[in-house]
Amino acid sequence: MGKKETKKAVDRKLIRRLYFYIRPYRWFVVLAIGLTLTAAFLGTVRPKLTQIAVDDYIAFNDLDGLLKIIGLLFLAQIGEFVLQVINTYITRWFGQGSLFSLRNAVFKKIQNLNIQFFDKNPIGKLITRTTSDIEALSELLSDGVVAIIGDCFRIIFILYFMFSMSWELTLVTIAILPALFYATFWFKGKVRISFLEVRDQIARLNSFVQEHINGMDIVQLFNREKKQQDKFKNINAAHRKAHIETIFYFSIFWPLVEMMASFAMALVVWYGGGRALMGGVTFGVLLAFIQYARQFFMPIRGLSEKFNTLQSALASSERIFNVMDIETEVQEPDEPKTIVDPKGEITFEDVWFKYNEDGEQILKDVSFTAKAGETIAIVGATGAGKTTIINLLLRFYDIQKGSIKLDGVDIRDLSLNELRSNFGLVLQDNALFSGTILENITLGNPDISREEVIEAAHKVEAHRFIEKLKGTYDYKLRERGASLSMGQKQLICFVRALVYNPQILILDEATSSVDSETEALVTAASDKMMKGRTSIVVAHRLSTIQGADRILVMHKGVIRESGSHQELILQENGLYKKLYELQYKDQLVEG
Amino acid sequence: MGALKRLNSYLSKYKWAVVLGTLFLTGANFFLVWIPGLIRKTMDEVEALKNADYDGADTLFSTLFSTEAGIILAENAGYLIGAVALYGILLFATRQTLIVSSRKVEFDMRNEILEKLMKLPQRFYAKYSSGEIYVRATEDVNKVREYYGPVIMYSINTITRAGFVITMMYVVSKDLMIWALIPLPFISVFAYWITGYIHKHSIIIQEQYSELAGQAKETFSSIRLIKAYNRLDNEQKKFEKMSEQYRKKKLRLDMIESLFHPALNFLIGISLLIVIWKGGEMIIQGSLTVGNIAEFLIYVAYLTWPVAALGYTTNRFQKSLASWNRIEEVLDQPIEIESLTTVQEQKDPKSTFGSIEFKNVSFKYPDTTENVIKNVSFKIEKGQNIAIVGRTGSGKTSLVQLIPRLFDPNEGEVLIDGQNIKSLDLEQLRSAIGFVPQDTFLFSDTIGDNISFGIEGATTEMIEQAAEKAQVKENILDFEKKFETMLGERGITLSGGQKQRTAIARALIKDPNILIFDDSLSAVDTKTEEAILKHLRQELSGRTTIMISHRISTIKDADVIYYLKDGEIVESGNHQELLALEGHYTNMYNKQILEQELAEI
Repeated sequence: MGKKETKKAVDRKLIRRLYFYIRPYRWFVVLAIGLTLTAAFLGTVRPKLTQIAVDDYIAFNDLDGLLKIIGLLFLAQIGEFVLQVINTYITRWFGQGSLFSLRNAVFKKIQNLNIQFFDKNPIGKLITRTTSDIEALSELLSDGVVAIIGDCFRIIFILYFMFSMSWELTLVTIAILPALFYATFWFKGKVRISFLEVRDQIARLNSFVQEHINGMDIVQLFNREKKQQDKFKNINAAHRKAHIETIFYFSIFWPLVEMMASFAMALVVWYGGGRALMGGVTFGVLLAFIQYARQFFMPIRGLSEKFNTLQSALASSERIFNVMDIETEVQEPDEPKTIVDPKGEITFEDVWFKYNEDGEQILKDVSFTAKAGETIAIVGATGAGKTTIINLLLRFYDIQKGSIKLDGVDIRDLSLNELRSNFGLVLQDNALFSGTILENITLGNPDISREEVIEAAHKVEAHRFIEKLKGTYDYKLRERGASLSMGQKQLICFVRALVYNPQILILDEATSSVDSETEALVTAASDKMMKGRTSIVVAHRLSTIQGADRILVMHKGVIRESGSHQELILQENGLYKKLYELQYKDQLVEG
Repeated sequence: MGALKRLNSYLSKYKWAVVLGTLFLTGANFFLVWIPGLIRKTMDEVEALKNADYDGADTLFSTLFSTEAGIILAENAGYLIGAVALYGILLFATRQTLIVSSRKVEFDMRNEILEKLMKLPQRFYAKYSSGEIYVRATEDVNKVREYYGPVIMYSINTITRAGFVITMMYVVSKDLMIWALIPLPFISVFAYWITGYIHKHSIIIQEQYSELAGQAKETFSSIRLIKAYNRLDNEQKKFEKMSEQYRKKKLRLDMIESLFHPALNFLIGISLLIVIWKGGEMIIQGSLTVGNIAEFLIYVAYLTWPVAALGYTTNRFQKSLASWNRIEEVLDQPIEIESLTTVQEQKDPKSTFGSIEFKNVSFKYPDTTENVIKNVSFKIEKGQNIAIVGRTGSGKTSLVQLIPRLFDPNEGEVLIDGQNIKSLDLEQLRSAIGFVPQDTFLFSDTIGDNISFGIEGATTEMIEQAAEKAQVKENILDFEKKFETMLGERGITLSGGQKQRTAIARALIKDPNILIFDDSLSAVDTKTEEAILKHLRQELSGRTTIMISHRISTIKDADVIYYLKDGEIVESGNHQELLALEGHYTNMYNKQILEQELAEI
């Protein structure tokens, strides 16, 4: 009982939060309810008009009167049609409007969450939150509620007209209702379970097919065709069974509903017939009741369907608001400072960091300074904390102890926009988007002109290959640049970093996935770019490391060695020395 | 209409169910038209009694239960309930026969398609995208199923019901029948038009929806870069633009959809209105009774849904046919690679298969113009250990795929033990080869089942042994459920290295004569690689091994190393010989030594 109440409280809270998105349209909601109310009246008044036509005019051979009633019926028909069309469109319109703003809000929220959230949650889940979960709300936010109100009104109007004509006959007609309700609930219960089963079976079947299309070469290589075919047959048979079970419930329910409606009609005819003989019930009333008996079942069926969709909509909205409630950890400062004359000096002072409260310490007491224009190289094994340093510098996370300063200002005192505008980032998995080369370079920044892009491309020798593409800078990339080579993609990323003209360049293993052909090109490009800029380089490539002003050798979150190439190779048993010796050996081989 | 004939041939297995279902449905509609007739009869009889100045009992109770009128009423009501009950039971029986058959046909069709897919050569999979094939094997079957189910059922329903209802109308009043039927064709045409429109626009909306999801995917998967370049607002703008387009396209469909029910309602209402109007006139003229109007109102109500369904059904039928054409394309694909009918007799494949020879082999993928393998000839002796190296795209994978006949060469021939492999039994050929492909595909099944994929009746010991040889046993034993651990969607995800080693175990358990490793150790660290290779050398001495690798460490001990460039063998020899050439291989070697050792720091 207690659980049920808290669930209700949660539902109420969800509905209140959803209302926020529909609030801008609240007057349209009121209008829609008004329209639906009128339409419900016009729809249910017609059998009553039929009764009048029969009893008051046809019975008295009044042709003009009949025509008048027909005219009224026609108007009611037209009126209902027009109102229903307008009403449906209005509800869809504000439903789409509120979904639109909700979708955008969810997207914005997710974008602003910290990087770790993206590492922890599969991309597919995040996409679901911004697309199909929102879609599941569409009925609730558009015609859901309005339609429920409309159905309720219909039932009330029908009851009103029936009672006003004959309360006895009304009671006889609705005597069938308990049975109908019972049948509907039984059906809903059964069908929900078997629909879940059907859904599971479809998913199983489809994923089997999908998997075997992708792995067909394995199936064939291992002579497993017959075995897998047998397996499929079993899954297929379970799928068929689930469907046939659902068919069974449907084959009972629909005929049953029709039978009940007809049974109600039979009761009306039997009882009403007797009543007609006694006087008090006219033929017109009988005719009206026959029509009402059929009309009555529609809104009831509608209501039971609507409640189902509402339930699943609430489940989706719960998932959506769970995301909306995640706190954004990296906060903008209340009063951001600005750096008047940015130079690009970076200072790490006793920085301690871990991703989670109870997680591993990723950085331990890391301190170093990169003066303006210096190149700092970071080397070390996977998991040593190289990439973490970059994540912290760009303030994807906040540190627990110590401070990180840019030109003497703590980065937590800068606005995120200002802080990040100082950096140009090139990553290992050269991220390209679908869109033109130009868009990929400017990232949609209108302040960057085409000329600037071409100039930058010339600098890193990317212009030559871009020029050869169809449409040059307007060449459209497909699926993360599938049509380009690794090196070409990396060059585009370099151009991108260059046009933003940052104070500080960050190359995170930017050259490690480039094949040898373009390696020289990329090296030259990165050398050119580092000139006059502070650079942080995480790399395996020796030439870059060698040329650095300072090399930080990281091991398990600690800077083990630091110094220039010349200094480090003199350290006995040093990690870097070992590295250098390997390089030396290699040169011997080449020689 | 050949397609239709073939579609119907699937029904032949269930023809009695279909015949029965048709009879049931006809019967159901036969009893259905009794209902309005009985209502009219009751009303007319009541009117007659009333006009005869009926004065029976003075309470309703006695009227209903004791008088002559009561008997008439009870009799009619009894018939009515009887007709309703028969209608309901027959309708139940109809769905249980017709719709159930449609699911059975669907079952057969799915089996047939999958069986075909199992037989189709890789040439087919290279030609069609996996998405395309998937849609044909799933979505399209669903649409064809609609033909066997709703399309057939609604068609029969519309025909028989309209037949009975119109006959009854005709008997009662020919004039009123014509009036009542006037709006019905409009309902049909309208339903046809609108379901078509809705279908068309649903596809457009679906596309926009995928684009929206695609945008979200792109943003979320490059979030680091986007944040670093302060492009959050720009991404937001892009997303909102698509979101807005989606909203607009959705509203365009909504506009038509908001017409759907009201318009259908309107047309039905107009039919009823005409019945009251014209029927009323006829009553006044004295040619009809009120009972007739009641009857007609119900007839019209009975007709409207089947008539609307006619439009819907026609549309569905067209979709079913279109889907069927796509399925047929798959079913009619030539199998190409299969055993010849007269396979030369083979003895124990284990003892014979071993040497492999390529003779002037050229190969290109379907729908491409350039050969990826160009006139390649070489011979591998039984028990030899050879390696193939070369850049990405040089044709290494294409070359080894020809051996188990995943593809057949366009020119030249591949021989095993001097026999063209085309003349060998396909199953025997493949069972003699242990192939570890480049993308280590594992099925969503237990690890144990994945390893024992290629052989029947594998014992636990065999599986464990294979896992041990592939150096993956320890990892597997670390899982809670060991070899029973599920992989894939409903289970765990293995690391790249674990996957590769599992795939190696899968090949080793077959105890094959020929082992092919297509870059199968790339995600395995060098220490583990060394251990695997050691095992292989011990266990597999005397077996022919072909290894593709980018890593010198994997292949430097091979008997012969072939360097492949643009589909041609440009260098061959053992490690030392190739280094002495100072060509492509030497280049590759130098670069790797540097990279590898740097990575180890």
